[in-house]
Amino acid sequence: MQETSNRVFENFENSFLEFKEAPDFTKRDKAAKLASQIDILSLTRDGLSYLYEKSGELDQAGIFFGTAWNEPDKLVPALVKGTLKAGHPSSSFELLSELRLLAYANGDQQSEVINAKEAQNFLEEVVVHNLEFALKEPAEETRTVMSERELKKAFNLFGFIISEIDLGGVYDKLAEEIRLICEQRPIVTRKARELIRLVDARFDTSGDREVDKSVRLYINAVYKPSQNSILHQTLEDYQDFLDNANLRTLSHEADSFGYYMHQTGLVSQYHPLLLKKLVKEHPELVPNCLDLNDRGKAEWEKFHELVSTLIIEIVSPDNCQCIYGLARMLGKNLFSRRPVRVGLENLRKIKLNPQVEKRIIKSLIHPDMDVTAQQYLLGGVIKMLGQPLGVGQGNNPTCQSARGLSMWSQHAPAKLIDMIITVATQNNLIMRFENHDLVSNQLGKGLVEKLDYNLDPVSVLLVPHLDKIYNEMMKRSAGRAEDPHKWVNPAMYGQWIQLSFASCYDYLTNSILDFEGFIRIFYAAFHPDFNGDREMSYPNPVGIFITSSKGDMVGFHAISLLRIAKDQNGKARAYFLNPNNEGRQDWGQGIKPAVFGFGEKHGESSLPIAQFAARIYAFHYSHLDVAHKVNQVPDSELKEVDNLAKSSWGKSYTWNNQQKIW
Amino acid sequence: MAKCFALMGWSLPVIESMEKLGKPYVVVSFPDFEPYAKENNIPFVSYQLNEWSDTSNSLDLFEKLQPYGVDVAVPLFEETVEWAGALNSIYRGDPRVLNRAFLFRNKAMMKRKALIGGLRVGLFEEVYNKEGVKAFMKRLNEANLQLDGEEDSWVHIKPFASAGTVGHRLLKSMKDIDEKCEDSDFPCLAESHLPGREFSCEAFINKGKVRFLNITEYVHLGYSNFIPEGHYLNSKRELIYKHVQKLVDIFGIEYGMVHPEWFLTENDELNFGETACRIPGGHILELASKSWGFDALAAFVLCHDPNITEEELDEIFPSKDYFPDNYNGNVMIYPQKRTFSKLEIPEELNNEPYFVDHTLVPPLSTQKISDNREGFGNHFGTINFKGEDPDRMTELLLHYEEVDFYV
Repeated sequence: MQETSNRVFENFENSFLEFKEAPDFTKRDKAAKLASQIDILSLTRDGLSYLYEKSGELDQAGIFFGTAWNEPDKLVPALVKGTLKAGHPSSSFELLSELRLLAYANGDQQSEVINAKEAQNFLEEVVVHNLEFALKEPAEETRTVMSERELKKAFNLFGFIISEIDLGGVYDKLAEEIRLICEQRPIVTRKARELIRLVDARFDTSGDREVDKSVRLYINAVYKPSQNSILHQTLEDYQDFLDNANLRTLSHEADSFGYYMHQTGLVSQYHPLLLKKLVKEHPELVPNCLDLNDRGKAEWEKFHELVSTLIIEIVSPDNCQCIYGLARMLGKNLFSRRPVRVGLENLRKIKLNPQVEKRIIKSLIHPDMDVTAQQYLLGGVIKMLGQPLGVGQGNNPTCQSARGLSMWSQHAPAKLIDMIITVATQNNLIMRFENHDLVSNQLGKGLVEKLDYNLDPVSVLLVPHLDKIYNEMMKRSAGRAEDPHKWVNPAMYGQWIQLSFASCYDYLTNSILDFEGFIRIFYAAFHPDFNGDREMSYPNPVGIFITSSKGDMVGFHAISLLRIAKDQNGKARAYFLNPNNEGRQDWGQGIKPAVFGFGEKHGESSLPIAQFAARIYAFHYSHLDVAHKVNQVPDSELKEVDNLAKSSWGKSYTWNNQQKIW
Repeated sequence: MAKCFALMGWSLPVIESMEKLGKPYVVVSFPDFEPYAKENNIPFVSYQLNEWSDTSNSLDLFEKLQPYGVDVAVPLFEETVEWAGALNSIYRGDPRVLNRAFLFRNKAMMKRKALIGGLRVGLFEEVYNKEGVKAFMKRLNEANLQLDGEEDSWVHIKPFASAGTVGHRLLKSMKDIDEKCEDSDFPCLAESHLPGREFSCEAFINKGKVRFLNITEYVHLGYSNFIPEGHYLNSKRELIYKHVQKLVDIFGIEYGMVHPEWFLTENDELNFGETACRIPGGHILELASKSWGFDALAAFVLCHDPNITEEELDEIFPSKDYFPDNYNGNVMIYPQKRTFSKLEIPEELNNEPYFVDHTLVPPLSTQKISDNREGFGNHFGTINFKGEDPDRMTELLLHYEEVDFYV
């Protein structure tokens, strides 16, 4: 490796020399070659530092001459992301441009056209627009468009910028980001914790503004959930403190921990120590420590033996986040279901398959040495059962599997545990499709090329199998001149899925067929004003068009429609689960799903129903129930949807307005 | 030394070399390039090179070049070979220089000349339609004593005057003739398939002598080559040199560079394929410059000068006993799929010690490749390698030709 990189530097120097010696009219050609070396250098930290050192010289030598980056004072921060997404060579020039601005901002190098302050402001804006890169959590659209290598370059660049720049100007924005992420109560809290760590390390948060208070709430939740945790910072010290604390002090601690956890959905590493102490010595304080509601308290009373056993067995500083899942599980009376209790008991007794064990360990960053993979898995199960809407697909194209996990954990928790047990012991899974058993181990590749392990243990365990089975079902239903999801969804997710299926895409003519009729059915089936004010009982697997912030068609995505209800303003909204870890996205035309502020439960995204309808292409329903309601949907409701659809993703298709017999 | 070189055709790398060399030159090319030339202070005479009429001809162009003091014309592209020939006939007062230019532009005439001079060539013939090709293949089958049921003899057809592999078709059977030939292919040259290992060389000639010989190893024609030649061809350098000089003598070439293609058989016999006298494709002179440590483009131009001195010549070429330590090679990348949306550089390339740089560009959103591909055109960029071992180089070039950079 060492030798290789030396050679890369050498090649770069040679090309740079050639570039400098070239007359103006061949500089672009030489720059193209130089860019290919910048591309390689940007894959390592060493390389980036080297480019940083060279950036001023490259700029002065005219590397940007004749390109969009030539005038650094006229660059637009909002355009950076688009250029990075465009791939090499654009992304390589873009990256170099940021590096030179960083050098100017830090005063390491001087420019005649842009001063340090201006460069600093520019980069702050860029960071805010590109948090997905800074936090290594790319959005769905980004992941579709960028190759793995290009993502790595972008991650490296922003990692470098964040470590080298004064972030003062982006504080408010980061604080908002933390709040909105935590509002969604994700199971995997790595991104939230990373942001909180960043803000805590880099900013003065002691002020009196609302934003300071909000940030402090999250920082406290993770690092100092009580006065005593501040006084006893290491876990050893804190344990010592607990060993000597009296009941009154413990009660205070329990209240404080419970409060922060409930407010933020985040659990501190001190929490396991306190909880275990209380379980063993003061069980009456456990409800406070978990901030349980009345149902949760009753549940604790009734099942404290099993719950205590689980706490003692699985809760640990690195596995702390499952405490929040446990509190939510208790609050939902899940322990009152016998199959769930049996499942959890069974799960405690199994022997993990070694492959599965490896996968789980691979998903952990700093595993506690004395906690086994099995204990992490149990913790994962508790998290998933407690937070069904916190499931995310990670950096994987497995939205279908993620929404399945979420649905089972809400409506078939014991069935989910059973599947987990099968895979955990056998590393294999069987599902039936149209009278054929599909055995995941005997199937070819699914959609995942290489699993991104930034996932919860249950996903790490199940997703590879679900993905293969799902893909096999799709293959077997291909070529039927209709969307394969029609058959796959009910088979994959279970009897909760209604059997009628509407899709606006017509396979035979490759066009959008009778979109109005399609939306009419959607409204008749789900809009409370037109369906007899009925609520949805189960989630509905819906296919949506993903569009860019300009409204252009990007690809397809699977989500779960959870409910349609009126918000505080009396407007009908669609509430849905977007399994891609980030419910807030910009889908263009002003369509930006909210995660908060319109009566969303934690983890739900929401949109006004027309905006939501303008992005769907397929859903399930019951045609028996809808048949006589379809004609009652007024045209005016449909017009808005039609306009939004036609002027966005609709531009990528031909439209056929013929009426279809649904 | 020439007073001024007329560069026939637009090539930025050649202009760059001339600037670095500091010799007087003027570029002759289409009016489209004029604004760019002006902007960059490139001496330029705009001329409609694809037109031949009362107002567009060599005598007229000669007049236009007078103010620059041009006394040597240098053809950079296949299409400017006759223009350069016509001008040089005037400068050198020798009408045969123009005829010789025609020789390079007509592959049938070229073969005849080689045959008369005693070079080994395949059987060849001018054909005017599909029937002509079939008759040619039939005669070839007879000569090869074909029995019933045996495969047909392979026939190549090529346009008389196109660069490199443009319009070149290999016909392996009578059926192929019906399927692959189009009426627009005719008239053209049909020739028998030449056995042997194909390679090209670049011979820089001045005063009728080969001054410097570069041999290019074709790893896969149209995809990859490297310079200098690998061990095997190197062991035949003497033989190759002799044949090239013979070619130069037969054709009567005095100045410039020829770029002949040969087929070397196992019995050390060289079959002559064809030759050109302009800048070869595949970035060959660029690779030659890097490996041999000289400016091959500048040398290409200077060789055309009848008045250059021996000292000046010695100065531009690598010394006679020098042989490069490093091999420079490249592979041209074509997408393997019909539809693709991303450029993906494989991880292995980062860690490849031979890798130097590449010029690959991403596709335009989701790009589809059409079926028509001319010669070996339409590649998406080149990857350059450099290293000490020609065998490893061969391996690498073959490997990366298969790697899919566009997904």
